[in-house]
Amino acid sequence: MRRAYLKHGCFTPSDYTGMRTVLYGILFAVTALPALARQNIDLSTVPPRDTVQLTIYNSEDLTLVRETRTVTFKTGVNGLQFSWANTLIDPTSVQLRFKTHAEALELLDTTFPHDKPQELTWSVRSGLNGDAAVEITYFTSGITWAADYVCVSNADETHLAFDGFVRITNNSGEDYEDAQVRLVVGTLNLVEKVADLAKRGLITDQEERAHRKGEMPASKFKAPKARAEIADKAMKGLGYAEADEKSIIKEGLSEYFIYTVEGTETIPNTWSKRMRLFSGTSAPFRIQYRYRPREYGDQLVRMFLLRNDEKSSLGTTPLPDGVVRLFKDNGRDGLAMLAQQGIKYVPIGQEIELNLGADPEVIHEWILSRAYRDNIWFQRSGANVYYSPGQGHQIKVDDRVIGWDAHELRLERIRNYRAKPIDVEVRRPFDGDVVFHSLLSPTLHDYRTVQFSATLAPAEKKDLAYRVTTRSGINQKEQHVTLEAGE
Amino acid sequence: MLSCARPAMGLAIALASILAAPLQAGIKLITLPPRERVEIQLDNPSVTLVEEERVVPLNAGVNEVVFAWTNTQVDKESIQFRSLSDPENVKVLSTSYPPNENALTWQVAAPKAGSAKVRISYLIGQLDKSFAYEAVAAKDEKALTLRQYILLHNRANEEFGVSGMWPGFGERFERPIGTNETKQLLSSKFENVPVRKVYTADLSEFGYLDAGKQQLRVPMHYLLKNDAGNALGQFPFMYGKARVYQDDGRGTTAFLGEDWLKFTPRDDEVRLYLGVAKDVVVKRTLAKRDQNRVLGNLFNYDVVVRFEIENFKDQPVTLDIAESMSALRREILGNDTGRPVEWELMTDTPLAEMLDKEKTTADKLLFHVPLTPRGADQQAAKQTIDLHLLIKNEW
Repeated sequence: MRRAYLKHGCFTPSDYTGMRTVLYGILFAVTALPALARQNIDLSTVPPRDTVQLTIYNSEDLTLVRETRTVTFKTGVNGLQFSWANTLIDPTSVQLRFKTHAEALELLDTTFPHDKPQELTWSVRSGLNGDAAVEITYFTSGITWAADYVCVSNADETHLAFDGFVRITNNSGEDYEDAQVRLVVGTLNLVEKVADLAKRGLITDQEERAHRKGEMPASKFKAPKARAEIADKAMKGLGYAEADEKSIIKEGLSEYFIYTVEGTETIPNTWSKRMRLFSGTSAPFRIQYRYRPREYGDQLVRMFLLRNDEKSSLGTTPLPDGVVRLFKDNGRDGLAMLAQQGIKYVPIGQEIELNLGADPEVIHEWILSRAYRDNIWFQRSGANVYYSPGQGHQIKVDDRVIGWDAHELRLERIRNYRAKPIDVEVRRPFDGDVVFHSLLSPTLHDYRTVQFSATLAPAEKKDLAYRVTTRSGINQKEQHVTLEAGE
Repeated sequence: MLSCARPAMGLAIALASILAAPLQAGIKLITLPPRERVEIQLDNPSVTLVEEERVVPLNAGVNEVVFAWTNTQVDKESIQFRSLSDPENVKVLSTSYPPNENALTWQVAAPKAGSAKVRISYLIGQLDKSFAYEAVAAKDEKALTLRQYILLHNRANEEFGVSGMWPGFGERFERPIGTNETKQLLSSKFENVPVRKVYTADLSEFGYLDAGKQQLRVPMHYLLKNDAGNALGQFPFMYGKARVYQDDGRGTTAFLGEDWLKFTPRDDEVRLYLGVAKDVVVKRTLAKRDQNRVLGNLFNYDVVVRFEIENFKDQPVTLDIAESMSALRREILGNDTGRPVEWELMTDTPLAEMLDKEKTTADKLLFHVPLTPRGADQQAAKQTIDLHLLIKNEW
């Protein structure tokens, strides 16, 4: 139910209760609404919202609400009461601005009554005897949004239909009717961000000028007779009846990305609503098998890799954090569920990596086939002197092993039972002072991780063989891997 | 559930009465009509995807289609709506989720009035599958018939009626699925699968049958190779219980035992444990442990592991002897250095000829040893076979 409202004029506690009742009446007495609403407007006691705009952040539980209301002022000092019982509005954030007749109106003071925590009163000195549009902004928590994605691969596993959605959930305690909704992606300084966003008005400059000149009545901002319809929409939780899917305007602003939902939305308290953010019709992707224990655990995983760009029928927006549900046309007039995973923010142009997990048709085994040691050094008892038989040194019975090179012959055995060739990439990390000998054309992913790759034809089995020499004891000079060609 | 007639209808009526007056022409609220077709996709190892088709009457304009369920674990986030009859024009504009209800409302735009065939897909919990196997060996145990069953467990509190099911391989099934039913379906049958009966002596894995006598526990396994040459190899086998029977030659079968069949990729061996063989007696001793100083505190160990084998069966069998090098080093050194064992197989005993080079790794040596049957005098010939190893560069 609606909780935040603005009341104007001289008031007493009994008025307060009375106004609440009137408000509840508006929402429930649907058929009686037009008469009641007009009566409220006529009395100017509870000015309703003309417009409301929600700017919802996904990185914090924070929403900037900007609402405009039309208030009838009398010459002299006017009292405006704003209260927000049972909502999640930050009281220190509530601000009042005059959208029209600003030159004739002055905010004298703001009072937070000690006995009513969710209420404040503004004293406004007015040189005006008539209507003025005021804008009230505040932060509320409890309104969140999140992205999610549905991808469906064709049966041949070459292209994806890639659809993005946003879902807005309102648990703020307040119904927002016919609200313009903007969703912000980004995690910078929130104060600055809010300040930037607040520069962009909900009402166009042109409309504001016309209203100031008296060319457009205040009711243009939201005609009272339209309120019955708003209340109906609030009840059913739907904001529109257009037969077209709403477009969502995507634009960058500084370090953020803003999605503005076309038209307005009504999201009653405790409801949520999901809308399509974009539709990628045919995004080409490639398949790669990866062994990266740090990222994917100790298993070879199947990856679908595509790019968030125009070539892929995507690239209209960065992809905010969200859950991807990946399906495949199973070739039998149905879908196969392939994977469900969270993705982190993907900028425009960046690769999207979807992990399908281990594949029972591509088998990866790690085999230690032989181990041996050489280049053994000894330490003489009681002295810091080292001897090696390889250097022609004499070794005594009491000398103890102090350094050696440990050699391991290893195989990464991969079997491909898929009907298509596959690309496999292995990243194998090593500890210590390691020499990696192989004919696999390896590269170093980092100082301790070797990367190599292979392509396997259908039904092919491949042993990727290499030898690892770990310089141990006093033989260890470094903490890194070096690459050497050879068996 | 989904048609979950009662809750869905209840919600629909409530909304309709509120909406009746202010609705604009073209907006219509409907509940989902009955299912026309259901497919249960069982190919994912961990989740079950249900796809159902319904014919929905739509008006031109925006329609509200209510989907509600109760007492079932439908993954709310996974529910998808797709138009099959007119995917270009019949579209979901948005989805609304009411509070505290297992329901959602799709706002569906239709260009003209008429029936639309739609497919609704969702992940569901408590509707899952497992696999079971039955193997019936011929009397001579040279071949068997292997059957794979899928067990569909429906604890989802929903009756699906006649549903198609596909496990991701093999054939598709079409069966009625009732509430709280478990359905066992024969998914594959393989005949004349060659079977190899294998006895294994592996102290590190199976331990002693009689430690005092150093007599090893010798398990018997059926080995089936999952490849085309052995009448299998069409797909990897998934984990499941396997029950093994043997044709007793009298038109009936005898139950030999059961084991868990582990995930077995193509070309790998299915290994079914059928119990301890008491008629193949293997005693294992360390016949030699010589410590030879190389230099300083660096030693080589000259080791002979001796196997005394008696086959009391009246047929020849194959004994697999496996030795773990790290376990052997612990046995001779009394501790574990943590380093891989550097070893050399000495070729002065016949066992060296029997090494399985394909399966031997740095830590485990495997030998296949043929055993002759018990003699006509019912006496088993004792075969003594030595494994001679040099354990090198230990300190």
